[in-house]
Amino acid sequence: MDPRQPSEANARAAAMPPELMQDPLLELEAVTAAYGRIQVLNGVDLAVPAGTVLALLGPNGGGKSTTLKVASCQMEPTSGRVKIAGRTVNGATSEQLAELGVCTIPEGRGIFANLTVRENLELATYTGKSLSAIEDRTYSFFPRLAERRHQLAGTMSGGEQQMLSMSRALSSDPVLLMLDELSMGLAPLVVEELYAVVSQVAGEGVSILVVEQFARTVLGVADWAAIMLGGRITRVGPPGELEQELTAAYLGDR
Amino acid sequence: MNENPQRVEEFREAISEMKISHPPPAVERAYLWLGVIGVAVGFVLIVMGYNGAATTEFTPEAVSYLISGGVVGLALIVVGVGLFLRYSMARFQRFWLLRDIFEQRAQTDRIIQVLERIEKLDIEIE
Ligand SMILES: Nc1ncnc2c1ncn2[C@@H]1O[C@H](COP(=O)(O)OP(=O)(O)OP(=O)(O)O)[C@@H](O)[C@H]1O
Ligand SMILES: [Mg+2]
Repeated sequence: MDPRQPSEANARAAAMPPELMQDPLLELEAVTAAYGRIQVLNGVDLAVPAGTVLALLGPNGGGKSTTLKVASCQMEPTSGRVKIAGRTVNGATSEQLAELGVCTIPEGRGIFANLTVRENLELATYTGKSLSAIEDRTYSFFPRLAERRHQLAGTMSGGEQQMLSMSRALSSDPVLLMLDELSMGLAPLVVEELYAVVSQVAGEGVSILVVEQFARTVLGVADWAAIMLGGRITRVGPPGELEQELTAAYLGDR
Repeated sequence: MNENPQRVEEFREAISEMKISHPPPAVERAYLWLGVIGVAVGFVLIVMGYNGAATTEFTPEAVSYLISGGVVGLALIVVGVGLFLRYSMARFQRFWLLRDIFEQRAQTDRIIQVLERIEKLDIEIE
């Protein structure tokens, strides 16, 4: 551990509320992960119950993105287990999971910048949906994209790009959705618009794991929140209870 | 689009039936080494077989040397090379794929930069 961050080094793993353990759709058990020799996850326990939204929060470099990578099988954990719908899926590929309905929107962009909005959506038809069905759904969520359907995706604003990448993800009819920093670099109003859609999708019964650094908007949408510090989950609970602790975590007085 | 709860049930079933065939990297590396060792042992066996066969005057003994040294050694080499190629290629191709994706992204960024510059010029001309 980094000796300059004693508060993180001393971070203790939090006990999970029993409600979280009832029929989790996604579960991480004592997961550790490393880049080369540097271990960044130091035993992560986390569960997302079916049909709920869990927000994974915490400051820079805590290992949130890494947790998502491990949970979606893009990265092999060095130890511990990743369970989806009760089955241990260590060793499965992220493509396999994606095909079945585990969808990840990575940090940054997950779209093709040199294609138009419509062409990007067209690429999503490989899942067997018709383009018109995908377009209908997309434009009902994000009317703004309808006006821009012939624009190159790379020339749109960050918020519009994020809307497009969400649309592409949703068109695959996911059961488990993982979002990494939806709000990165976006204006608060756009973030609210995006989270309104997240909330709508959650209402349809999709289980969602959202990673965010700053949490105001997410906490309104989430059923559960978890704080990640120094590669561990230090606290899990209802969003309301966590808000204060979160402020403390950012200010570093733990 | 999400026809819950049927969709969720379908999903659970699909996950439980999913084949997890991808070996973890540690296993892959082990096979790679097994291949290398197989080839090495194969060569040693052939040399021993040759030595045995060459130093005996007794033909049936030479045949048994050739079989246990030559044929078994040859088989080990074939299998070893197979294993080595299979697992070294898997690693190599994965690496290549990643590189491809990265370069494509970089290209795209460059194209967009140029497009933006052209757009600006257009506006200035107008
Ligand atoms: N590809 C990589 N190679 C080496 N180290 C990495 C890599 N990706 C992340 N790390 C390191 O792992 C640690 C955790 O990174 P991670 O991206 O999971 O954090 P995060 O919580 O998502 O942070 P942020 O809020 O900034 O996105 C960081 O110290 C980071 O420097
Ligand atoms: Mg991150």
